[in-house]
Amino acid sequence: MRNRLKVLRAERDWSQSELADRLGVARQTIVALESGKYAPSLPLAFKISKVFDKMIEEIFDAE
Amino acid sequence: MRQRTTNPTTAASRRYLVEFGIAVVVYLVVNAASAWALRHVANGPLHYLIAIVPVVPIAFVLVAVLRYLRCSDEFTRMVHVEALAISAGITAMLAVTYGFLESAGFPKLSAWWTYAALMVFFGAANPFVARRYR
Repeated sequence: MRNRLKVLRAERDWSQSELADRLGVARQTIVALESGKYAPSLPLAFKISKVFDKMIEEIFDAE
Repeated sequence: MRQRTTNPTTAASRRYLVEFGIAVVVYLVVNAASAWALRHVANGPLHYLIAIVPVVPIAFVLVAVLRYLRCSDEFTRMVHVEALAISAGITAMLAVTYGFLESAGFPKLSAWWTYAALMVFFGAANPFVARRYR
């Protein structure tokens, strides 16, 4: 699943571990999400949307 | 500014390491005490009880692993559970294979090795599983 996590994170100048701390996940989880090889659960997707203050559809692309 | 919030996944892995370390130390002490006591207690129910006492700290490791899995984030949990499934499968296959070889005349082995094998394969499978999501 493609996503704009890396771009959004760069815009805010957050490191992977900083985003991991904000979401309460391991840094390895951020790596897996950004690579698009792991699709988050609905609760985690909502958490991500809240952290970036964006709609889920603005972050994830279901192609 | 970086928020100083406690990351539950980081906290879970830190707590797991502490609990695992304590369990190992307790195991070493209890195991030595049990081995010593076995030489001094004659056969009987107490003899067997003393023999299985080292299982208690091993059971604590199981509890620590389960707690770690429950408190980790969904991706970390998935990787660990997948690694555990792979290692359990490999261990079961090896145990069954060796069981057949025993029937064919191979020396009888202690059931003990299955636990060690499970732990070794689990540790080895973990980075292998995680790499697929990088």
